[in-house]
Amino acid sequence: MKLNIEGLLVYFPYDYIYPEQYSYMLELKRTLDAKGHGVLEMPSGTGKTISLLSLIVAYQREYPLEVTKLIYCSRTVPEIEKVVEELRKLMEFYSKETGEKNNILALALSSRKNLCVHPEVSSLRFGKEVDGKCHSLTASYIRAQRHSNPSLPSCRFYEEFDAMGKQVPLPAGVYNLDDLKDFGRRKGWCPYYLARYSILHANIIVYSYHYLLDPKIADLVSKELSKKSVVVFDEAHNIDNVCIDSMSVNITRRTLDRSQANVETLQNTILKIKETDAAKLKEEYRRLVEGLKEANVARETDIYMSNPVLPDEILQEAVPGSIRTAEHFVGFMKRFLEYLKARLRIHHVVQESAPQFLKDIFEKVCIDRKPLRFCAERLRSLLRTLEIADIADFSAITLISNFATLVSTYSKGFTIIIEPFEDRTPTIANPVLHFSCMDPSIAIKPVFERFQSVIITSGTLSPLDIYPRILDFRPVTVASFTMTLARTCLCPLVVGRGNDQVAMTSKFETREDFAVIRNYGNLLLEMSAIVPDGIVAFFTSYTYMENIVASWYEQGILENVQRNKLIFIETPDAAETSMALEKYQEACENGRGAILLSVARGKVSEGIDFVHHFGRAVIMFGVPYVYTQSRILKARLEYLRDQFQIRENDFLTFDAMRHAAQCVGRAIRGKTDYGLMIFADKRYARADKRGKLPRWIQEHLTDGSLNLTIDETVQLSKHFLRQMAHSIHDISNCNVQCFCQLNLSQEDQLGLSLLTLEQLQSEDMLQKIAQIAHQA
Amino acid sequence: MRHLYVVIDTSRTMEDQDLKPNRLTSTLKLVEYFVEEYFDQNPISQVGIITTKNKRAEKLTDLAGNPKKHIDALKKAKDSTCGGEPSLYNSLSLAMQTLKHMPGHSSREVLIIFSSLTTCDPANIYELVKTLKALKIRVSVIGLSAEVRVCTVLTRETGGSYHVILDESHFRELLMFHVKPPPATSSSECSLIRMGFPQHTIASISDQDAKPSFSQAHLDSTSGGPGLSMGGYFCPQCQAKYTELPVECKVCGLTLVSAPHLARSFHHLFPLEAFQESPLLLHHTERFCEACQGELKDKSVFTCPSCNSVFCVECDLFIHDTLHCCPSCIHSRSAP
Repeated sequence: MKLNIEGLLVYFPYDYIYPEQYSYMLELKRTLDAKGHGVLEMPSGTGKTISLLSLIVAYQREYPLEVTKLIYCSRTVPEIEKVVEELRKLMEFYSKETGEKNNILALALSSRKNLCVHPEVSSLRFGKEVDGKCHSLTASYIRAQRHSNPSLPSCRFYEEFDAMGKQVPLPAGVYNLDDLKDFGRRKGWCPYYLARYSILHANIIVYSYHYLLDPKIADLVSKELSKKSVVVFDEAHNIDNVCIDSMSVNITRRTLDRSQANVETLQNTILKIKETDAAKLKEEYRRLVEGLKEANVARETDIYMSNPVLPDEILQEAVPGSIRTAEHFVGFMKRFLEYLKARLRIHHVVQESAPQFLKDIFEKVCIDRKPLRFCAERLRSLLRTLEIADIADFSAITLISNFATLVSTYSKGFTIIIEPFEDRTPTIANPVLHFSCMDPSIAIKPVFERFQSVIITSGTLSPLDIYPRILDFRPVTVASFTMTLARTCLCPLVVGRGNDQVAMTSKFETREDFAVIRNYGNLLLEMSAIVPDGIVAFFTSYTYMENIVASWYEQGILENVQRNKLIFIETPDAAETSMALEKYQEACENGRGAILLSVARGKVSEGIDFVHHFGRAVIMFGVPYVYTQSRILKARLEYLRDQFQIRENDFLTFDAMRHAAQCVGRAIRGKTDYGLMIFADKRYARADKRGKLPRWIQEHLTDGSLNLTIDETVQLSKHFLRQMAHSIHDISNCNVQCFCQLNLSQEDQLGLSLLTLEQLQSEDMLQKIAQIAHQA
Repeated sequence: MRHLYVVIDTSRTMEDQDLKPNRLTSTLKLVEYFVEEYFDQNPISQVGIITTKNKRAEKLTDLAGNPKKHIDALKKAKDSTCGGEPSLYNSLSLAMQTLKHMPGHSSREVLIIFSSLTTCDPANIYELVKTLKALKIRVSVIGLSAEVRVCTVLTRETGGSYHVILDESHFRELLMFHVKPPPATSSSECSLIRMGFPQHTIASISDQDAKPSFSQAHLDSTSGGPGLSMGGYFCPQCQAKYTELPVECKVCGLTLVSAPHLARSFHHLFPLEAFQESPLLLHHTERFCEACQGELKDKSVFTCPSCNSVFCVECDLFIHDTLHCCPSCIHSRSAP
């Protein structure tokens, strides 16, 4: 259908639209108009992706000069594929409606591992191996060497692409990863390089967060993307952690040992080259004297996105003399490594700031701040000069040099923690140096600065005001949308007490309490008897889960639960977990019924959807606070308090509640779905916790569903489940013949939560829509 | 003609007391009522009862056309204990064994009253569902606790219905929904069946030779009263005597029915089309109802779509609920 969103003609590829989708597009349009950033929350399963795509594509067509590109960042490969499929549907609709072939080029980009078509390289199992092997076939100096020595192996796909591919742009259309591979095979071109080249002129790019946020990758892939782009971060509730991870460095003794080996190799190579080709090193020296002016010019003319690892000042200066020659630089790195090794040889925990670290290093080994800052650039230049093919081998030394640059560049926002052992195993010495970023805004800052609109969206972003604060940007729209439903298909319940009136909580002081564990067990047991098919239960951590399950076993609770349902447990091992998951789904499918015990923040809580019968109930045992004793977290909390005036407790609660929301949100994946959400901790009933849940959950959390006992929960759940099972049928069943439908019939939803074009244009509906958007 | 197996879950969950006094007693009572109603509406059809517990399925009664036997069995079952888990697979395959031999012109149905949320199956149930579908066995489920996925798929695949009860009165409503047979589908085969229409004869008191005699049906039943009676229905083929109809003759295997029975079954298969409702103002020609000959006073009148006769509201109700055929159509057909 064609919509009119404040004067913008939007093609929407479905006949019906949810009111919240309309309202979402409205807000999005305003954000784009203002050329600002936006934070939008809308529950999953309400068609966020298609609303985003259809509005932005329409905007692109209407104002081709204002918005040239859409960059859609998602988290996983399946999610990327899903976005591309929606896009394809939209494009088909466009060409059907307008009758003309549209000239929009949209493509997905992923790692070499997912895109390689070279028969040998693509058969390698790990991403790193694929990257390394590819590099050894296609690096520029390898190819230069091949001119003199044609017997060296080559990748014919890359050669072909290099010879032909750049002249003709990729024909317009929608390409997912498989399409790219097919196209590559047909033409004999390398799909990976083709995609990387094509994103420069593509209208829509779909790829992973890391291509934009991780400075190492972003520098390679995304720095030339146009300023007039709209960037969308989908499922962005964890974006601050992604930013922090991309800027943090962990150094273990193993890393140091490997870097040591790297340095040795470098030294040998330098000696060899000196004998054969001294001119090359001289040339490099000359280049370094000139400085990194080239990069500076490029940045000034605004062609490239800035790289947080490469601060502005560096560009204006030449590489300092002390590390300009190759031997000196290697010597310098050696000294630096020795120093780090000495620092790791400790018996107590050390925490210090970056300036303290720099002072110490200057006093002990006389390393200045300035050369440290150039470390990363200098190493890159050296590796290029020495023509080392397999970059993967040098990951350790690259890491160290990045660390050196970061530590000397940023005096604020980072902290250094050296721990002699892990907390769990205090007897085994395993020193780690955490160089941890505490300020997520550092990594994302270039993105906000460069692109005219950045949209952060997810199903669970509440409380909305905290994201702009921790990411340090000023949004023009902040909105949360609820689900309009023909029936209340979610039932959040807060269970606070057992039948014996003992409070249920995972509070640290009482979590070992026998009565609490027993009550949790009883809750699970009772629910297993009344909930059909699948139940997913989340614990706050692996250790807590292990303790509880062990004592349930001793108390015989597990045995009783197993009479009702099978039990599967998530473990930190990915293979084991995916096996458990597969069997869990099989059990749900067969009517055997199953319970999956898993952990908030684990793999299950983030990436896996439990549609329909796979998750009829989610039980959240306790409040999933992070492990507060961790030093990194403590440092970060302190930083947040000092820099952003966010109280420690506020942040902890915010973090716990977004994970809880994420966990329980797994059960509802659409309007035809239904599920129970059980929060088993009395603390959820408090206003400060409850208020931080997404609005679409809060709405259904009435006073009647707070602080219940187990018995009350069972009664309410039973009623809810019957009501839901009933209401699915009584719609389709009039009196004579009824076919069991899984979907609610459309007539029923129509006009309430599904709208046709005519209904959309009516006055009172527009008013209703205006109420949906909740301005935070 | 319908062949229906009622599967009653008698697993541990049936002891739940959310239906009073408990699920089992309540269910059995309702099924009793159902059986009565069923034979009232479908006189020449048959019912069998299967119970399932402890991962097994047992036949409580075989397919038969006599309500008494079933009701007796159900009454006895009230005292039985519940335990273990039900098995959908076993119950369905047990029902299937008998149903697949039923002739193609009759319907093959299974109605499951399912209280548990789990089923314990010896093999993959989806294979069985495929077989059921191929055999055109229609499976409907009434759930007593919540929607279970496997039942949803089972009913959707076999074309049955799936409902979950809200309370006891809703339960009864859902059961009554299954009393009415599904309309005949065009795909079912047509075949001729031999039937006997015996007349009820009573030996006159004046006839001195007349002696009370046993009915064939009583011969093998251990219970029951004296069983001797003066009158009865005599099979037109072999003269065996029965006191009740409909029945299948024990001697020659002929189906014995009475004409009203047949008529009652017939109308379910070919339901009378709904009459068109229209405001009275449009009808200037007809001032009287075709059926009761009364003057049309109400705001709307009903027109038969095939013969265009006009009826009043009350007659429309009477025709659809009781007569099941349009009097005016029949009239025009019989007198050409």
